[in-house]
Parts: sequence; structure tokens; C-alpha cells
Amino acid sequence: MTGMVPGWNTLRQVGPAAAFYVLFFLGPLLILFLYSFWTMDGYTIVPGLSVASYVEAVTTSLYFAIIVRTVLIGVATAFLVVPIVYLLAYVMLFVLDDRNRRLLDLVLVSMFSGYLVRIYAWRTILGKEGLLNSALLQLHLIDQPLTFLLFSNFSVVVTLVGLLIPLALLPMYSSMSNVSREHLDGARDLGSRGFHLHRTILIPMTLPGLNTAFAIAFILSVGDFVVPTMLGGAQGTMIGNVIADQFKGSGSNWPLGAAMAFLIMAIMLAVYLVVTRALKWVTRW
Amino acid sequence: MDGPVKELWLAKLNADVSRRRFLRGVGGLSVLTVLSPAAILAACSTAKSSSAPTAAPSAAASAAPPAKLGGVLNWLGYDGEQAETVAKPFLTANGITIQPTFLGQADEALTKFQTGGRGQMDIVSANKDFQRTVLEAGTEFMAPLDMSRIPNAAGLFPAFKVAPWVVKDGKQYTVPLIWGDEPCIYNPKKWDGVPAKYTDFADAKYKGELVLLDDAFGNIWLFSKSLNMPEPQRLTQKQLDDVIAAMLKVKPNIVAFGSSLGDMVDIMVRGDASMGLGGWAGQLPMASAKGVTLQIASPSTDGTFFWSDAYSIMLDAPNIDNAYAFINYMMSPEASAAIASELGSACTIEAAFALLKPEDQKLFPYDIVRRPDGGVLNTQIVLPPQKDDGDIVGAAKWAKAWEQFKLA
Repeated sequence: MTGMVPGWNTLRQVGPAAAFYVLFFLGPLLILFLYSFWTMDGYTIVPGLSVASYVEAVTTSLYFAIIVRTVLIGVATAFLVVPIVYLLAYVMLFVLDDRNRRLLDLVLVSMFSGYLVRIYAWRTILGKEGLLNSALLQLHLIDQPLTFLLFSNFSVVVTLVGLLIPLALLPMYSSMSNVSREHLDGARDLGSRGFHLHRTILIPMTLPGLNTAFAIAFILSVGDFVVPTMLGGAQGTMIGNVIADQFKGSGSNWPLGAAMAFLIMAIMLAVYLVVTRALKWVTRW
Repeated sequence: MDGPVKELWLAKLNADVSRRRFLRGVGGLSVLTVLSPAAILAACSTAKSSSAPTAAPSAAASAAPPAKLGGVLNWLGYDGEQAETVAKPFLTANGITIQPTFLGQADEALTKFQTGGRGQMDIVSANKDFQRTVLEAGTEFMAPLDMSRIPNAAGLFPAFKVAPWVVKDGKQYTVPLIWGDEPCIYNPKKWDGVPAKYTDFADAKYKGELVLLDDAFGNIWLFSKSLNMPEPQRLTQKQLDDVIAAMLKVKPNIVAFGSSLGDMVDIMVRGDASMGLGGWAGQLPMASAKGVTLQIASPSTDGTFFWSDAYSIMLDAPNIDNAYAFINYMMSPEASAAIASELGSACTIEAAFALLKPEDQKLFPYDIVRRPDGGVLNTQIVLPPQKDDGDIVGAAKWAKAWEQFKLA
């Protein structure tokens, strides 16, 4: 509109969303950051300025081992989710044509049920007396139930993959829908085929969607503590559980939990940058 | 619809949807979706509490009719102790709905209270050692009770009238609901019973069969007793390390840590574990409701510890009238006997004892609660000191040790 300062117009448009973001995300994050420099005295939190919690978080060998295991689980989950959603999006957009919307709806319908309900469903599927073991026993493919299916890293990864595919599919689908069929046809006419077509044409054109899908799968799986609690068993603790325990009850240590939270955020950011840079490099061979 | 309005309406309906318009609409809907339920719930809560009917006296209550009953009762505690079945006549007659939140450990309630829960929690049902610690520390949590509003509490056994987790400086803070012990829970199709000592669970025959409640203090105490520590709740760092070392020998046999008593039952009912440590008789009806029969027993040499859970009203409870009326109802002999039977525990009201089945009367040593000093119920303390006391390590070190046990 004539006479309006462009800056004010932008502020007016983004202001409400920005205010919501500051109030409900940055604000609590800042408070948590402050907590990470405080200390505990029994049940009481003592304000101050101390890095003792950060020192404890990085120097305790058990925490280091858990962080490594958590990152590996996160990477494994993301490396399973991203190819699956890439393939799903490709099939929906370039193979199924007009029927693709129904498949997308089917994938999204799985999100209509509650998070805990879906986790309990995996307990029913993977348990010693669950659907999978029962089927394998009935088919005489095994003599004894497979105990590694539940309460293990395997069950954690499988469940996280199942939970995160619908979420990661959305940005992948959105990104790939901007690629027209003519682009791919033209590349094929010029001699590009199979993996070369994907690596040099489709993946570079859908890189933002791939990066977002990876971020969703990796960050949400590293930060999860409900799935390892319900399905991880005695050996499946992840860093999210350790952080949650610091806020939960006996011997709770909020400053340590806050310090761990920021430490793992830094690690997640570092891994995300490395993987996305590597993906970009691969497409430029 | 008139011409110009209709034209505008049709223009809106038929307008092309750009990505910016779509996202604007979705954003607006999202904000409404997030905010409106909260606003509606807040309005309903306000409307209900301001228009709540006057209560009709319940059959078991002997107090004058309390005012302003109805609406919500926010309850936190162990699964089953919210007594929705036992208290159904009272709840229905007064239009009260219990909103329960279940705890794995009592001190989770304190965390919730200190992190925005104050002013939103009515009743907490926690164990005696936690309540004793909170009272001794003077931590703001439980409100002193107006016992004239809980006349049925006059019928408590002598041990529960003056216990240190009930009374402090002449004021009463809790009202004991049930008491009992902490047995192991097992599947009789797999096991004939439990071993003589907790350390015996390191035997390879238990591999893949054990589930433990995620309870730092209870589990460490049990293994401390198993190692014959003179005072299982007061350990030096060396003693604590020895206890954790003994527990680590059992860890390869543990399938999972139950996040709550109900979760433990779920794991056992599904057949993913067959022996639970740190159990409770109240888990038997939970399993039975799912069609599975479990049994309880305590190791013959080590025994177990006794506990007592009591209701307390939180500071700044928003539905205090409902809280007092509910607690008074639960202290009636009929309700006390019913909740004790339902949860396989012992009753706290003297007159309720006669209402128990003869076999239930023999389950627990009631002579200890007929004594004002409470016997072993008073002397047996499961929680460690809140802070280090000389060589004796405090709760933070127990929690750290438990964390190291779980992460190993």
C-alpha cells in the first residue's frame, strides 16, 4: 500500500507468530538455560552462576556412553525414515498420479490415534506373546519366541520409525511436488537413468525436503523418552530418560537436566549440519 | 441471504486459494484449536464451581453437610488409591469427578507441585516416609488439616493418630488410607514362589523374567536389607556402592523397569516378564481384571518393608470442599474396609477391621497399629536422609546410584 513503511508491514504480518514463538518457545528456553547455571540443595534449587552441571554432564563416562548410544539410535532411525519417505513420495507423485492423495491420506490417518496408543500397539506386536512371535511360531519358523523384538534397541528404532514416517513424509512430499515430471523426462532424454537421475536431478531439487525430513526424524528420535521408557527395557535408556529423571522426583536435579538438554541440543545441531553437508556433497560428485 | 452479502459470500467461497491464504487460515485455526479448548475448560470449571449443588449427606458420613460440592477433584497418587469404585456413591451423589494422575514415586508429586502444580492439585496420596521427610524439612506442600471437617478420622487406629508422618507441632497433615507391605509379585504358572533373598534374583534362571518398579529408594532399601546392612536407610558411600554392585548382578535378568505399578502389571500380563520386585497386593486385582492370575510373596529371609499411604490436601487446593468431603467419606468404616479389600491392603479405621473377611484380617499384623507407637511401621524408614549426614549419604546420592544402576 502506498505510504506504508515496508518494515512496518512486514512486522505487522509476522508479529503475531513471532510473539507466540518468543513467548512459548524462546522464553521457556531462556528460563531453562538460566536453570543450567544454578545448583541444588536437597529439594531446593539455589540460583547462582555455576558451570558445575555442565562439567558433570560432559565428564561423567556413563552419560557420555548414553549420549553416544542415543545419537546412534537417532541416526539409525533417520537413515531408515528418510529413504522410506523419499520412496513413498516418489511413488505417490510419479508412479500413482491422481491416486496418490489416497495413499497420503492413509499414511496421515495413522497419526489420528494417540502417541501412547501407537506405542502400546507396538508392545502388542513385538512382545514374547505378541502378534509377530505368535505368527512366526504358528508358521514353525521359530521354536521359541524371539526375545530381542521387545525391550531392546531394536524395538526402540522400529517404533520410532513407525511414529516418525508420517511426520517426515509431509515435508518430503511437499518438496517433491514442486518437481515437475517434465524435469525428469528431460533428464532421461539426455541419458540420465536410475540412481544417477536421483542423485544428480531429483535429490538436489528436493534437498530442502530431505533436510527437513532428516531433521524431524533425527531430532525427535534423539529427544524422545517415552518410547525407550515403554519399549527400551532395562538396557534401552536414552539421554531423554536421563534428562526426564532429573526433573521427575527422587534426587531431582533440574540444573543438571537443563545442562544436559543444552548439551544434547548442541550435539544434535552438529550432527544435523554434518549430515546435510554430506548429502549436498554426494549430489555434486 | 441479501444480494451484496451473498455476492461477498460467494466471492469468498469461489476465490482461488493461494499458499499464503491457506497458511494464514491454517495458522489461525491452529491458534484457535490450541487456545479455545483451554478457554472452554477454564470457563466450564469456573461455571461448575460457582453453580455446584449443595451436597446431600452420604450414608456413611457423620458430619454436617459440607458446602459447595461438585465439579472436579484433582487427585495424584498410586494407581487404585483414587478409590473411584469405592467412593462411587459419594461421587455420584455430589456430582464430583475425580481427575487422577498416577505416580511411580511419591516425590514426583512434589516436583509437579513446585513446577506450576500449586493451585491445581487437591489431594495427594503418598507414602509415610516421603510425607515424614517433607514435614521434617518444613517444605511447603501439604496443608494443615481442619480435622473438624473429617470427623470420621476419629476412628483411626491409635498408631495413625500420632505418627510422625501424620502430625507435626500439634497439627495434622495427613489422613492414613491403607497400609501394607512390599512383596514380590509373580506368575504362578511359571514360579512356585520367590527366593529367600533378593540377591538370589541374580540366578540365571531369572534371565529375561524380572521387572522392577522404577523406584530408587524402595529397591535400594530392599537390597540393603538383603546384604544385612545394620540400618538399610542410612548407608555410607561404600555401603551404597556395595548395594549397587549386588544389584548389578541381578540386572542382566531384568527385562524392564515399570514406570508405574500399572505398567508393571501390563508387562507381566502380556507375558514379557513373570516376576516383579517392589510390588503391591493392589496389583493382583489389576491383573485379574485383564484375565491373568498373579500371586504375591516376600523372600523368607529378607522379608520386606511396611508402608502406609495417606491422603493429604495440598496448599492452595482449588477444590478444597470436595477434598475434605471425599476424605471424610473414605474414613468411614465401610469405605475403609472396601478400599483395603479392593487393594489387598490393611485398613486404617478400627471399626473397619470387623468388616473385613476373616482371611483378610490375618493378612497383616494389626497389633502394630493398635499401639500408639506403631511398632515397625514407625521404626522402619525406607527413605534416606534428605541431605548427607556425616558419612551417611543423602537422597541425591541414592538417586545418582540408582541412575548409574539403570544406565549400566
